[in-house]
Amino acid sequence: MSKELIVLDNLSKIYDGCTTALNEINLSISRGDWTSITGPSGSGKTTLLNMVSCLDKPTSGSIMIGETKINDLNQTELTRFRRENIGLIFQQHYLIPYLSALENVMLPMYYNNNKDESIAIKTLKRVGLGHRLHSIPAKLSGGEQQRVCIARSLINNPRILIADEPTGNLDQKNGRVVLNLIKEIHEAGNTILLVTHNSKIAREGDRIVQIIDGKVSMSNMTVIN
Amino acid sequence: MFYQILKKSLFKRKGRLIIAVIAIVMGVTIPAAMFTVSLDVNNKIGAEFRKFGANLLIVPKSDIIPVGIGDISLTSVTNQQYINETDIYKIKTINWSKNILGYAPFLYQVITAKSNGQEQQVVLTGTWFEKNTTLEDGTNFLTGVRRINSWWWSVEGNWIGDLEFFNFSSTTCMIGINVAKKMNLSLGDIFSVTYQDEETLSLEISGIITTGGTEDNHIFVPLEVAQYLTEQTNAIHTIQVSALCSGCPIEDIASEIESEINYIEAKTILQMTNTEMSILHTIEMMMTIVTLIALLATLLGVSTTLTTSILERKTEIGLMMSIGAENRKIASLFLTESLLIGVMGGFIGFIIGILGAQFVSITVFNSFVSPQLIVLPIILVIASIVSLFASIIPINRALKIEPVLVLRGD
Ligand SMILES: Nc1ncnc2c1ncn2[C@@H]1O[C@H](COP(=O)(O)OP(=O)(O)OP(=O)(O)O)[C@@H](O)[C@H]1O
Ligand SMILES: [Mg+2]
Repeated sequence: MSKELIVLDNLSKIYDGCTTALNEINLSISRGDWTSITGPSGSGKTTLLNMVSCLDKPTSGSIMIGETKINDLNQTELTRFRRENIGLIFQQHYLIPYLSALENVMLPMYYNNNKDESIAIKTLKRVGLGHRLHSIPAKLSGGEQQRVCIARSLINNPRILIADEPTGNLDQKNGRVVLNLIKEIHEAGNTILLVTHNSKIAREGDRIVQIIDGKVSMSNMTVIN
Repeated sequence: MFYQILKKSLFKRKGRLIIAVIAIVMGVTIPAAMFTVSLDVNNKIGAEFRKFGANLLIVPKSDIIPVGIGDISLTSVTNQQYINETDIYKIKTINWSKNILGYAPFLYQVITAKSNGQEQQVVLTGTWFEKNTTLEDGTNFLTGVRRINSWWWSVEGNWIGDLEFFNFSSTTCMIGINVAKKMNLSLGDIFSVTYQDEETLSLEISGIITTGGTEDNHIFVPLEVAQYLTEQTNAIHTIQVSALCSGCPIEDIASEIESEINYIEAKTILQMTNTEMSILHTIEMMMTIVTLIALLATLLGVSTTLTTSILERKTEIGLMMSIGAENRKIASLFLTESLLIGVMGGFIGFIIGILGAQFVSITVFNSFVSPQLIVLPIILVIASIVSLFASIIPINRALKIEPVLVLRGD
């Protein structure tokens, strides 16, 4: 098994034929690494995550995740690959408003034809929400909602966790809680791709990649403290 | 899980759901009412047919060409304008004989009726009223005009019976209402009839008949009496047959009878007054047009409602997709939702339709309809098809949603 889990080769994304969001990106991400992605607004960070999480297709260039060449997959295969390999955490806590915390967490399991409720309960307990299983999102605080999202992203045991500013909408205390959870997940051996504007949070990772105008401007290793 | 999502998402958007269901209800109420009325009327007509009513008329073939030239017996068949009374039983020997409910022979002759010094040329008709006949296999078969036509022969006074034995000195008869009026006769009166100034009979009036048809101009006596008076033993002119034919081809019965008695012709007749039928057809046609328009409107209404509902849930659908829902999972959610809308709307529409049918039936036909349960599945299918069709465009829109676009947090 190679050390590289994700390999982006000359990856470009041009929206509507004119906006170049990503410009020939070359990037390798090692298995088990936490990579923090920073850069100014509009530089292409979210676009990059969308490519890696198979939500969008590149204009040119290729993406390899493990042994799979993402470019070759069709819509259904992409959905399935994402479901089985990638956990997504968004900046906003997107939850289905009429489903309980437990049901929201079980949704990816349902799409994966897994009905084991106990796994979902265990995962919710792991993010500290064992007492909130049956609350609907509106009854949860922002931090709690984001923890439900984290539980949901972990439920299918993904190899890669992709988070786009997961603490961006949280106060410091809740941000800490979420960050500690991500740390735990990282320590459990998962590969993490995290976009953040906060340099302190970025430094929690093994490596920081800075993107400016759709290009990797700096890619360095930092020492774990 | 599927049903949790379905149940909770429907509950969350009760308003939209109700609007879509109402659209379906409005679309299917008219066809539900229409089917109920037309089935009910058809059933009633069918039942009346089954109970009474001749629907075959047997007459002698008028133009048989002789096969063997010089063959005397064949020539006589050719010229025959009568049916042999002794051949009647053959009608009950065909393959469809179970469907032959009854028959009655008729012999017509113009005679002179005299009463109170008044003379009139009248048709005297000999027939079976309610005669116990013996079939080929020896079984008894009660038949006659009373069996096959009683529902549209309205009789004032009493039906007469057939003769057990000849007693021509005092015979009872039934007369048509027009004869009674013209000759100023009433129940219990006795008058005399003469055939070609030879035989004379006195008849006592037992019943006065009103049918609205030619019967109103006739005098009815037992067949034997007519044959005796006009000296035509064993002869009859026509036979009216009542055959049960809901489903079975009346033409088949007719041609079987024709091959059984080879010198006759069996003609199918429709004795029903066609008024109800034609009213029904007019209503059905109008309703069909209205229904098609209504269903089209329903289709558009439901489609718009579902589209709005899907646009409202764009983020939700995008989220489902991003966390791994395949297209068919999304589609099946909305298909089930619209099927549910269809079934609910169909059911309510069916019930309102029955009430509407009741109203139509009372105002147009002056009778209550009985609910036709068979209409329910038909309406449910129509409603489901309409709502599924209505969901095609919205579902396509749902599947075109791009998660990256709806999940862009700003
Ligand atoms: N769907 C789209 N259609 C057209 N242009 C787009 C689309 N998505 C992104 N862009 C453009 O691509 C560029 C990169 O956008 P992206 O969302 O990746 O930036 P970002 O680095 O995530 O910014 P932020 O820090 O504000 O989230 C921007 O100029 C943006 O306007
Ligand atoms: Mg972004």
